[in-house]
Amino acid sequence: MPKVNMPRSTPALDMTPMVDLAFLLVTFFMLTSSFRAPEPIILDTPTSTTEQQIPKQVFLVMIDEEGRAFVDITNAAVKSKVLKKMMSQFKSGGLSDEDINKFAGVGPVGLRMAEIPTFMELESTERTAYEQRVIPYDTAASKIKNSELYYWAYFTKIEAHNDYKEREEEAKLRNMEFDKSNYIQFSIKAARNAKWDKIQYIIDVFREAKVKEFQMITGLENAPES
Amino acid sequence: MAEIQQSGGGNDGKKRAKKQSTRVDMTPLVDLAFLLLTFFVLTSTFSKPKVLRMIFPEKLEKDNPNVKPPEIKDGLTILLTANDNIFYYVGALNKETEVIRTDYTKNGFRKLLIEKNAPLIDKLKKLQLELADAKEGDTATRNRIERQAKDEQMKSKLVVLVKHDKDATYENIIDVVDEFLITQVAKYFVVDPGLDPIEAAKIQEQLSN
Repeated sequence: MPKVNMPRSTPALDMTPMVDLAFLLVTFFMLTSSFRAPEPIILDTPTSTTEQQIPKQVFLVMIDEEGRAFVDITNAAVKSKVLKKMMSQFKSGGLSDEDINKFAGVGPVGLRMAEIPTFMELESTERTAYEQRVIPYDTAASKIKNSELYYWAYFTKIEAHNDYKEREEEAKLRNMEFDKSNYIQFSIKAARNAKWDKIQYIIDVFREAKVKEFQMITGLENAPES
Repeated sequence: MAEIQQSGGGNDGKKRAKKQSTRVDMTPLVDLAFLLLTFFVLTSTFSKPKVLRMIFPEKLEKDNPNVKPPEIKDGLTILLTANDNIFYYVGALNKETEVIRTDYTKNGFRKLLIEKNAPLIDKLKKLQLELADAKEGDTATRNRIERQAKDEQMKSKLVVLVKHDKDATYENIIDVVDEFLITQVAKYFVVDPGLDPIEAAKIQEQLSN
């Protein structure tokens, strides 16, 4: 019987191409993924057949099933300016400039103005556990203009306009083409089974702030064949 | 300390390079690479959400006597109620109006809209074909066709009002508006006031049947 020669050393496999590929993919996913700020609530949005992409910069209002509102502004500079205005409007002090800048990165929040200083003192890990209640809004016609939600929308509208003008001038100064798509747009992200009445209330609050156009954020659904 | 080890003494100073494998054990590297890969694959989201654009009219002053609610003569009114029920009627509302029940499927509501909106759909289709025929660089023709399409939408006779009671959900409205987009309804309005008592009564009648 012939003797089978067993290899003495462990079989070596050239892993270089595999590593190359793995790192290529890692690089790709690292560069393409963008991290979202943690959201205080998870919403199941309805679907629609529109192909329109979500605008680059949004003032986002999230509305859950019970009609609680959370807001976020994706433009950090505008967000901190709006927060400053909100603080002087509601006379709630106690936030350092650093806190204000930090607040811009926190993501959507559902906090009363009075709660924000306490919230910002927490460590970022503690913040997720903090029970966020709601941005107060009142739907009685006479009181709309006292509500915090109204001012969030109102100040954002002003700051968005200022921001737009600033960038337009800067582009003109540098003789560059001006990218108009960065204008902050108002979008609503609501739960599928939220009552339309609640959303109508919130839209009414915004209409009071002279915001007329909304982007309803929806999931994608296949368009029917014509 | 950090001396490079010389070949172990003797042999007339003749250096002999030690034969050593240049292979590096890449297993930990691969482990790490795949760990990162898995992480990024799982955390990244590809399908960005889409948006549905809605425009609401500016808030009217309630006491303004000059503003009258629009009168509906041959419009279509859609009523949304609890449990995803959907009803419609044509024309003005009075005791004789027939409130008809439909559903969100493509043979229900969509069929109705396509029937009602047929003239506009036809015209837009024709323009679409013209646009397809137009040459790529011929912007003048293209603009003209696009303007024409806008004009046709402005002239569209079909006006759809969407009314709802307090139990209609956000999804209901989005579905309805989405149907309008699919069937190219150019004029639709989501109105604030809830259902009229007559409408509510007629819906009750329908539901109890």
